[in-house]
Amino acid sequence: MSARDKYEAVIGLEVHAQLLTSSKMFCSCPNVFGAEPNTKICPVCTGQPGALPVVNRHAIELGVRVGLALNSTIHPVSIFARKNYFYPDLPKGYQISQYEQPFCTGGEVPIQLKDGTQRGVKLTRIHFEEDVGKSTHHGHGTRVDLNRACVPLIEMVSEPDMRTAFEAGQYLRALRNILRYTQVCDGNLEEGNFRCDANISVRLKGAQEFGTKVELKNINSFRYVEKAIDYEIDRQVEMIELGEVIQQQTRGWNAAKGTTELMRLKEGAADYRYFPEPDLAPLEITTDWQNEIRKQLPELPQQKSERFQESYGLSPYDASVLTAAQELAQYFETVTNLSQNAKASANWVMNELLGRLNAASVEIDQSPVSTEHLADLIRRIDSNEISGKIAKTVFEAMFATAKAPETILNEKGLRQISDAKQLEKVIQKVIEANTSQVVEYKNGKTKLLGFFVGQVMKETKGQANPGVLNELVKKLLDSQ
Amino acid sequence: MLTRQEVLKIAQLARLSLTDAEVAEYQKRLGRVIEYMKDLDSLSLPKGAFVRHVPLDAPRFREDEARQWPDREAIVANAPLAEENQFLLPTVLEKET
Ligand SMILES: [Zn+2]
Repeated sequence: MSARDKYEAVIGLEVHAQLLTSSKMFCSCPNVFGAEPNTKICPVCTGQPGALPVVNRHAIELGVRVGLALNSTIHPVSIFARKNYFYPDLPKGYQISQYEQPFCTGGEVPIQLKDGTQRGVKLTRIHFEEDVGKSTHHGHGTRVDLNRACVPLIEMVSEPDMRTAFEAGQYLRALRNILRYTQVCDGNLEEGNFRCDANISVRLKGAQEFGTKVELKNINSFRYVEKAIDYEIDRQVEMIELGEVIQQQTRGWNAAKGTTELMRLKEGAADYRYFPEPDLAPLEITTDWQNEIRKQLPELPQQKSERFQESYGLSPYDASVLTAAQELAQYFETVTNLSQNAKASANWVMNELLGRLNAASVEIDQSPVSTEHLADLIRRIDSNEISGKIAKTVFEAMFATAKAPETILNEKGLRQISDAKQLEKVIQKVIEANTSQVVEYKNGKTKLLGFFVGQVMKETKGQANPGVLNELVKKLLDSQ
Repeated sequence: MLTRQEVLKIAQLARLSLTDAEVAEYQKRLGRVIEYMKDLDSLSLPKGAFVRHVPLDAPRFREDEARQWPDREAIVANAPLAEENQFLLPTVLEKET
């Protein structure tokens, strides 16, 4: 048993998600990514004296949508609060957030475990806040771009409810799927519109008390989530084993080195001197409004996955892969409806299409193989028009050229000949050219059937439908 | 009166450096503010009855319509220092992110 096996990790995640609104949280500046510095600013989001914030109604709707999707409690009244700290990217000297009374508490995120079962990771709260600007350090000073300041965010705080890096990764993936399904956030860690901080501590298995927690920042790629958390767990276990004391601190993930590094020792919550935002009235979310928002909720990943298992007989694993993104689920479902073969549709999408799309960095809604074309291909296999082997060749060409199966079969001469009349002509020719073998066959050397089939295959360049061909050869030989 | 440590802590949060004379002065002056807060605390007010600046008829919400502020150059020009359309500040917090 290694030292690590004696310990368990306790992981809680804080996710900031940028809301997909047209304008900012408290002003009308456009909410866009990648604009020229300071072209999306106004007196409100730059903190000019006397400028007053007004809440973006749609931002509230998006936040409530997430809360409803996660079965959280939406509070009819919540309070905006000022979080005070000094930093160059924070023009007002405070960030408008929610503290004592967030708009949403409780709920859970369903995650898929390694054995295919599911469990819910509990949420503590979701609250609204505004994003801050972007500062870049140069030799002679710090440049500040406030385009992002005041962009609407929700912060989703989980309970310390995860025990492994894998669970944390699954939680983030599940949460991202829900945000994308509900069209609340793009869920792009790399572009920074979905940001994750992890609170990690370790303790001896069976212990009740939590260990000292370390906050891990800068996990900006799904590829590194598990790696970064695992590294931090190992680091803490090693320190404890060496008898060292873990200090409450903030560490950053350094992807280049594959390690976590000290950023700063933790400022306590009290140092932010939160107080209710006097410029904003309490946020009221009436039951009527909630119900209206509930009506707009789409089918969520878990519901869709369950439906796919029931209606299409998919395994839990296949269903979870195919519902990971809404566009993918829709693609699969369209192919299934057109082909009337769910199992084959799932196999083609998962085993042939997804890998090629990933390798080419192409999104499913840009797939060169359209749903109609893939369904067409599957129907041709099911009706024995083409073999599975030829279908793979055709599919490859479909992916490369975006052409229809019909076109490719013609162009490549891959069409299977199932037409009896056409085949009979060829068989007749072969029989006439091999009279001595016909006599041997008639005398009981029935093994020669294979010889005749082979000759016809040669004549047709392998395009004869084997099933049809076998029967026809036998019939024609027997009638000689 | 605030203690010297309390004043230094507040100064640190505000990113201010104070001379010894200033620390002594703020021990007294901030102490008077805190005393006044204690007076306010003695009032029996219902929870959440903080004073708001929001006029009662102020809009609770705005619709999500993006509008470009016409005079953004003026906002940058208003800053003491700017460079390539960005605000320029002394790098005092380089180690923190
Ligand atoms: Zn603005």
